[in-house]
Amino acid sequence: MVTPDLSVSVGSLRLKNPVLTASGTFGYGLEFLPFLSLSSLGGIVTKGLSPKPRQGNPPERIVETSSGMLNAIGLQNVGVDAFIADKLPKLRDHDTAVVANVFGETESEYVEVCGKLDAADGVAAIELNVSCPNTEAGGMIFGNDPASLGAITRACRRATRLPLWVKLSPNVTDIRETAKAAEAEGADAVSLVNTFVGAVIDVEKRRPVLANLSGGLSGPAIRPLAVWMTWQVRRAVAIPIVGMGGIMTARDAVEFILAGATAVQVGTANFVNPRAAVDVVAGLAEWLSDHRVASVRELVGAAAGAQERA
Amino acid sequence: MLAWRIPMVQDLIAPVLRNVDIGGGNWLLEFEARDVSREMLPAQFFMIGVPGSDILLRRPFSVCGLPGTFADGRAGAVQILYRVYGRGTKLLASLGPGALLHVLGPLGRGFTAPPSRDAKIVLVAGGIGCAPFPAFIDALHREGRQAAMIYGARSVGELALLSWFRERCSSVAVATDDGSEGTRGFVTSPLAALLAEPGRGALHLYACGPTPMLKAVAKVALAAGVTCDLALEAPMACGFGVCLGCVVPTRDRAGAPVAYERVCVDGPVMRADRLAW
Repeated sequence: MVTPDLSVSVGSLRLKNPVLTASGTFGYGLEFLPFLSLSSLGGIVTKGLSPKPRQGNPPERIVETSSGMLNAIGLQNVGVDAFIADKLPKLRDHDTAVVANVFGETESEYVEVCGKLDAADGVAAIELNVSCPNTEAGGMIFGNDPASLGAITRACRRATRLPLWVKLSPNVTDIRETAKAAEAEGADAVSLVNTFVGAVIDVEKRRPVLANLSGGLSGPAIRPLAVWMTWQVRRAVAIPIVGMGGIMTARDAVEFILAGATAVQVGTANFVNPRAAVDVVAGLAEWLSDHRVASVRELVGAAAGAQERA
Repeated sequence: MLAWRIPMVQDLIAPVLRNVDIGGGNWLLEFEARDVSREMLPAQFFMIGVPGSDILLRRPFSVCGLPGTFADGRAGAVQILYRVYGRGTKLLASLGPGALLHVLGPLGRGFTAPPSRDAKIVLVAGGIGCAPFPAFIDALHREGRQAAMIYGARSVGELALLSWFRERCSSVAVATDDGSEGTRGFVTSPLAALLAEPGRGALHLYACGPTPMLKAVAKVALAAGVTCDLALEAPMACGFGVCLGCVVPTRDRAGAPVAYERVCVDGPVMRADRLAW
C-alpha cells in the first residue's frame, strides 16, 4: 500500500497533515523544539495573543480532575508585538502553518491584533478566541450569543485577508447557532470546542481550588461532548471544522474526522506527552494504511449519518 | 563551579529498581536514568507518570539522590523521596522492582553553591521538603564544603533520612510541631536563633518545604539581610514551561510586583527576595 495522503485543506489553507496543536497547550511552538520537529505538524496554534502583554490570573491555576484538568490561566501572554518581533521570526524557519490565536477585551482590541498579524510575515491563519472562560472581560462574552459573535467576526473579517477561524465555546445552549453566525459573517472555518466551564471544591478548606473559582475543563473527559458538537456543527454549516477536545491518540483524531472535522487540534495531551501531536500524525498514517484508506480526506464526515442534514 | 549547563531534557521509560518504605509515610524510590543522572543538578526535578494508569498528568518530583549520594545507590540510578499523600503517590508506592515509569527530566533550575566560600551554608527543610538536600549535600562535599541543617516536621516519625543528614551535616537542629524530637515548634525558631548569634558571619540559606514555611523562612532571612534560595513546589501540568499553571508572583529590583513566573522553568529554585508573596 502506498503511503496514505494526509494533506487537507481548511478553506484556502493547505496543511500537510490535519494535526495542529491547540492554543494554550503549545506555548509559541518554540518551547517544543527539544522534543519534536515543528515541520512534522500540519500546524501550530499559538497561545492567545492580546494587544498588550497579560499577566494572567493568580495561582492556583490548574487542578487535575477525572480524566481531565481544569485551568484558569487567564490568557497570560507576551502580547502581539512581542510575538511578531521575537517568536514569529524563529517560527519562519519551520515548515508548518502558524495559526495565531487572537484575544481581546473589546471589539477594537480584536481588530487591532488581527491587523498587526495581517501585516506580519509568517502567519498562515487567525483563530479568534471568543470562547475563553477565564477572563473577566472579552472572550466568552463575545462567544456566548450568536449576535455578538457575528459582530466580532464581521469586524475581524474586515481587518484581515488571512484565513479566519472562529473558535467556538461549548458553554452555549446550541453550538450550531454560533457556528452559523460565524459562517454568515465570513469565517473560513470554525474550530471547536474550547473548554467547558467547571469548578473543583477543596472539601477540607471548603473553598474552590482555583483562585478564579471556575476554570475550563479539558482532556479525555470532554471528548464525547466535543465529538457530538462536531457532528452537530457539521450538519449546520458548510465551512470546514477544526475539531478538538481530549484527543490523546490517532484513534481519537479519527473520531473527530469521521464526525466531520477536516483537521484536528491536540491540546491537553501536549502537557502529558510533549510528542503527543507528532505521535498522532504518525498514528494517523498507520491507521489509514491499516484500513486501506488512500487519503484522510475520504474520512471527513464519513461516519454513518454524519452527512445528513437535520 | 562551572557556569550553568542545562542538559537535554529526556523522556524515558525507566524501570524501578527499588521502592522502599522508610517509615512515617515516606518512601524512597530508585530508578534507572543513566543519561540523565550524569548531568542533573540538585533540586532539579522529574515529571513522573505511571504508564497505563488512569491518572492523566505526570507529577513533579525533586531528585533526592544522584550517583554517589547514597552509598547503596546503583550505578546510573537516581532516587526520589516522596510522601504518600494522594492518588498518584499511592499508586507509586504500589510499584515494585521492574515496574516502569514515564520520566521526563531533568527539568528546572537547581541549587548552585554560593560563589563566596566565606558564606556558611544553612539548609532549612520542612517535612518531605528535605527531598532535594541529600544530592545537594553530596555535591557540596565534593567541593569540600559543609552545610548546617535545620529540619522540621510535624512529628519525629516524619523526619525522613534524619540519621543520614546527621552523619553528613556539620549540625542538624530539629524542630517538631509536637515536640517529639528537638525543639517544639517551627523551623523559624532555630533559624531565628542562628541568625541572632553574635558574630555569626555571612550565611546563605537554602530552603525547601511547604509554602507557608518558605514564606516564613524568607521573611526571617530577608529581615536579617541573609540571601536565601527557595526550592518551590506548585501544581503543574507539563513541567516544561507551557501550561502556565505553576506560576508564582515575582517582583523587580525595586520591589514592585511585576510578573507571574513559572516554577517549572524559571524555578523551582528562586531567590527569596524575588517573590512577591
